[in-house]
Amino acid sequence: MSTPLIECRGVSVGYDEKPVLENVDFVIEQGEIVTLLGGSGCGKSTMLRSLTGLLPPLAGEMLVLGKPLYDLSLEERNELLKKTGTAFQQDALFGSMSVADNVALPLRELTSLPEAVIKEMVRMRLFMVGLPGSEKKLPTSMSGGQRKRAALARASILDPVIMFCDEPSAGLDPAVAATIDDTLNHFRDALNITIVVVTHELESIRAISDRVIMFGRGSVMARGTVDELMASKDPEIFNFFHRVAERPDDTGALEQLTR
Amino acid sequence: MVQLHGDLVMKTARRLHGDLRTVCRRRDVRIVTLDFSEAGRIDSSGIAVVSLIAKQLARAGKKLDLTGLADHHKAALDLMPKQEPEVERPEPPPGAIEALGGAVIEAGSGARALLALIADIVRQSLAVVTRRKRLPAGALTHQIATMGVSGLFIVGLLSFLLGMTMAFQGAVQLQRFGAGVFVADMISVSMVREIAPLMTAVMITGRTGAAIAAELGTMRVRSEIDALSTMGINPVRFLIVPRIAAITLVGPALSLMGMFIGIGGGMLVAWGALDMPPIMFWQRITERVTALDFLHGVGKSLVFAWIIGVTASHLGMRTGGDALSVGNATTRTVVVSILAIIIVDAIFATISTLLRYS
Repeated sequence: MSTPLIECRGVSVGYDEKPVLENVDFVIEQGEIVTLLGGSGCGKSTMLRSLTGLLPPLAGEMLVLGKPLYDLSLEERNELLKKTGTAFQQDALFGSMSVADNVALPLRELTSLPEAVIKEMVRMRLFMVGLPGSEKKLPTSMSGGQRKRAALARASILDPVIMFCDEPSAGLDPAVAATIDDTLNHFRDALNITIVVVTHELESIRAISDRVIMFGRGSVMARGTVDELMASKDPEIFNFFHRVAERPDDTGALEQLTR
Repeated sequence: MVQLHGDLVMKTARRLHGDLRTVCRRRDVRIVTLDFSEAGRIDSSGIAVVSLIAKQLARAGKKLDLTGLADHHKAALDLMPKQEPEVERPEPPPGAIEALGGAVIEAGSGARALLALIADIVRQSLAVVTRRKRLPAGALTHQIATMGVSGLFIVGLLSFLLGMTMAFQGAVQLQRFGAGVFVADMISVSMVREIAPLMTAVMITGRTGAAIAAELGTMRVRSEIDALSTMGINPVRFLIVPRIAAITLVGPALSLMGMFIGIGGGMLVAWGALDMPPIMFWQRITERVTALDFLHGVGKSLVFAWIIGVTASHLGMRTGGDALSVGNATTRTVVVSILAIIIVDAIFATISTLLRYS
């Protein structure tokens, strides 16, 4: 078996020395789409920030492409990060550049490809994400779904080994969300990109995940395929997958007041 | 027939593209066959090169053949778009006349928005003064603290240094005519009537005006101003009136402080360099500077403060939807405010000369 692309052993992440997640262990293998999920505020986005090189973990060992991401020199780390692509929750497109210039930016900055090839690659990538012909548009003149797809095109333009996506389909209509899920599956199958997705859209989780890692109670709460987690009897996992509302137990409040 | 060796990836794409183009341009070549049997991995750049070559050959009426494709090559080449998508052209940039018309319309709508904003500020301020509406709790104190208290030091230092510099310059010139004693008149009159109000206004523009524009602009980008409107809260009353009220108090106050500190700086230099005792300096000031001079200076500061507050609010509120326009709003606030302040200052000087009270 080849070495895993991402390996976390006993990792704690958080802000200001206060861990949000502790003692996290997981591996991500070549060619799979792994969904990190959990309730709001459980630390999954923090974990993603850490994996993308933006936030050093508080403890533990984090290997990305077999190398300790945060022990590398700045140059080595940048080399490593060039093999990853990140699509942010807010699209993070540069508002002053056209879509084509946004998508071509990594190619122009980091490779020495001739301009004709760059243009062709951008054209093909926009076609792949379902935005054919929108090269000249400005991000401000596009809908939220179109901007997210343009962001996916930019994140994937260097054919990264791993792609990180933070809530790629949040806040979009079901058809557009399905297009994005489709694009991610297409990236994995056609370009052999391993994808780590943070989301809590149930439909998307079902549509794309090869494997799921669920965070909760300050660490990894469960892992497995979607079907395995759906069948779980653990009340928190059950509530998440079956959309059971959680409320503080308020039975007997009146009784307490009048006691 | 071209035999491909090795990986068709980003590192090799430039050479591959160049070589293949040369081959395709040759007149004796009618059919180009790319043999993939020895080729390794192919990535997006490799696919793009093949796609470009295919188009080039098609244009020249030549033919492209691909042989020896492995499964992963086929899967990758399948990513090429089947038909040429129509690139949506943005509207062509306007011609000179159109641009002029656009600028006039833009200026007109800007002026209308500015007048509407001023009217709204007056209306909301009156409502607050007559106690029909309230300012958000603590907003005024907070604004005065950020604009005024934290500006004390820098305005004080600036005035002090300016007073000193003027005294040095003036002393040298006036002594040549044996009129060194008039350095007190010169410093006090110019500080009170001109320098302190102007320099304070420039400092407030850079510190406070820019901050107001950036703050309101960012709030506009993050839809916070829309959020206030949908809650039925008037954004002018909630955001702008406290800022205008604070700047109304802070502008003249800082300027008044600047006048005295500037005179103090001059007094120090006169004492040290001209052997003019402070008491004599003070005497000349009380003889020369009248309450009308102070009124002139403070009144001017008040007008300057309003110019800064209204310009910054207007440009901040009109920010577009991206990061660039926040920067634009901030820059324009500083440039427009300082320009307007200097124009108004010239008007003040003209009027006061005509009325002969200087």
